[in-house]
Amino acid sequence: MALLASVLKLPRQLAQSALHASCACRRPSLASSSWLPTRTWSSGPKVNPEPQQKQHCNVGTIGHVDHGKTTLTAAITKIMEQKGQSKYTSYDDIDSAPEEKSRGITINIAHVYYQTSLRHYAHTDCPGHADYVKNMISGTSQMDCAILLVAATDGQMPQTVEHLLLAKQIGIQHIVVFINKADLVDKDTLELVELEIRELLSDFGFDGNDCPVIFGSALKALKGEETEYGVPSVHRLMDALDKYVPTPVRDYTSPFEMPIDNVFSVPGRGTVVTGTIKKGTIKKGDDAVVLGFNEEHKTQASGLQVFKKNVEVAVAGDNVGVLVKNLKVATLEKGMLLCARNSKKISNHYVANIYFLTKGEGGRSKPIIGKYIQQMFSATWNCAVRIDLKEGQDMFMPGQHGQVLLTLIKKMVMSDGQSFTVRENNKTVATGTIVKTLESLHFPNNKLYKAEVKNDVI
Amino acid sequence: MQRLLHSSAPLWASLDKAMLGKLRKKTGYTFSNCKKALEVCGNDIAKAEEWLHEQAKALGWAKANKLEGRATAQGLVGVASDSSCVAMVEVNCETDFVARNKTFRSLVERVAAACLNHGKTLPQDNLTKSFLSADQLKTVPCGKEGGPLADHVALAIGSVGENLSLRRCALLQAPPRSAVHLSGYTHPAENSLGVGPVLCGRYGALVAFKATLDSAPKTQILGRQLCQHIVGMCPERIGDPEKDSPNPDTDSESVLIFQEFLLDVNQTVGNVLEEHDASILDFVRFECGEAC
Repeated sequence: MALLASVLKLPRQLAQSALHASCACRRPSLASSSWLPTRTWSSGPKVNPEPQQKQHCNVGTIGHVDHGKTTLTAAITKIMEQKGQSKYTSYDDIDSAPEEKSRGITINIAHVYYQTSLRHYAHTDCPGHADYVKNMISGTSQMDCAILLVAATDGQMPQTVEHLLLAKQIGIQHIVVFINKADLVDKDTLELVELEIRELLSDFGFDGNDCPVIFGSALKALKGEETEYGVPSVHRLMDALDKYVPTPVRDYTSPFEMPIDNVFSVPGRGTVVTGTIKKGTIKKGDDAVVLGFNEEHKTQASGLQVFKKNVEVAVAGDNVGVLVKNLKVATLEKGMLLCARNSKKISNHYVANIYFLTKGEGGRSKPIIGKYIQQMFSATWNCAVRIDLKEGQDMFMPGQHGQVLLTLIKKMVMSDGQSFTVRENNKTVATGTIVKTLESLHFPNNKLYKAEVKNDVI
Repeated sequence: MQRLLHSSAPLWASLDKAMLGKLRKKTGYTFSNCKKALEVCGNDIAKAEEWLHEQAKALGWAKANKLEGRATAQGLVGVASDSSCVAMVEVNCETDFVARNKTFRSLVERVAAACLNHGKTLPQDNLTKSFLSADQLKTVPCGKEGGPLADHVALAIGSVGENLSLRRCALLQAPPRSAVHLSGYTHPAENSLGVGPVLCGRYGALVAFKATLDSAPKTQILGRQLCQHIVGMCPERIGDPEKDSPNPDTDSESVLIFQEFLLDVNQTVGNVLEEHDASILDFVRFECGEAC
């Protein structure tokens, strides 16, 4: 699956549904007890989940340009390389923060990778606020934590406020502080710098009291000095990341959710929907509901199959076929969501973070002023959407990012953080993520332009 | 040197450390500079504060010289206006973090206000559009605290540690008691963090127009809408209905009067002007960071 995805340069999900689509053309044999199209991929079913591979964590660095972000990043890769757990990336390579295209958006971002004995780390560094936000909005990966860099000589800068605001905006909850250039000031100053930054973190709702604060010199570390503030400080930093940042785990306890990739009929048994469980655990016999495209269908999971075998339970990450009781193939379609009853809200109205592509990125050249109706694509479905601006905003220029209100022509289930794109004449003009679900709006007969959108939503 | 790492308040707060903390909190200058100030002034906080303020300008200039030449692709456009003059300025910085920061914002507001005041000292016989170059801007006096703008920029550089630069300024002046209305606008039009009437954003527009509307608020609204249109649709020139004709490709229309009005695509700007018995006399558009 990974191979297919990388060869076709498709996100994993799309690759899976591409395979599904191709295999669904084969009729399942009557005699076969397996309803799933035949293929195998990836790891086996994990009913009692144990992590088989190293955990993964996404970390980013924030801080003033001159406080040593790039030096620290280079030092980390160099030191971890010596432990055989990274590839040294030089200062110049990181500093150039090459342009990267993600979903057509240009982002200035430097990626380095390293690992400790506990985890793989994907470490990103961006020069600007907009780059971090575009990275988040293009939905590639959620940043799990940030290393905030402050030089002891200066202490925090006025713009450290903006660094923390950014961290909040992109959903970071765990911050580890590295106080750099610690060798250039005395003990008293170090303590004051630490106190000050802890206070600021608390002011912004971060864990100022208990977050790890590491003192060191990125320059000494990069040079390989084994003094307290040299190489050992990087080891202390890596330790702090390992211990303080919780491992993002698959969610096995939330009510289950499975986006439907495929629907077909198994003669003699009934209707089967397939997909990869996004969250939670599903047991044979569980009550469920299918939501999407304005419809809600109560049902029951009267059978489960994983890898052609009947199972009693399936968990997040499993690719599963679910026999849905009393539902006909014609009423279901790809893009709907199978989930636990009363767990998800179906709605046509959302608040979203959005980025409008610049003309250079293939987007619009003119701004939008609201009541903007185009096609929205998300997960495996698409439908018409109307975009309205929030109160106080009068237009959205290409290249701008911010919050907007979405009204879909059909009620769907969209989770917080779910990403989508907007296309005009088949070219992507905007990309975004859902912030929250609102109460559905009523509007006459599919006429989106007639919907009365209240723009004073917070 | 052993260090005790702990998260509770220091057990023995030495007099020096407490003073250093206090001085830093009060003035915001770097720990290094605060420490130096205390050393120079024999641990007298009041004197140290004075010393820091005096040094701030010199330190700011030292930093400015050190950082000069670093690319400043981010920043803000600021617009200050009153009835007879509107001023639009662009001030640049290195990162968009600083562009969002209130220290920088307050600098931009001061620059715009200073340029407005400067504009009002220029002769105002006719409607005039003028520009100030980066070099000219440096010498414009800043009303409130005195001193040329270059000094204010240096102080801000000392504070945020990034290269900052005054890039350009545009002024529109209308003679008093003329029928000419002036309007200024910036985008995004969110609430300014500043105290005064200066607007800040990534884009800005100034417009001078004539209109016979029955109320001041209506005139203001029209002015704002025209500015908004200019920001959004980026016209190259006003156009003359007698001499110019519309571009057959409406999407590429660069003549203002023929462009589809931003707020109502069923009308051209020309239609809107006719409807209000109005005409546009001049305009300026700034986009932060654009080549010019």
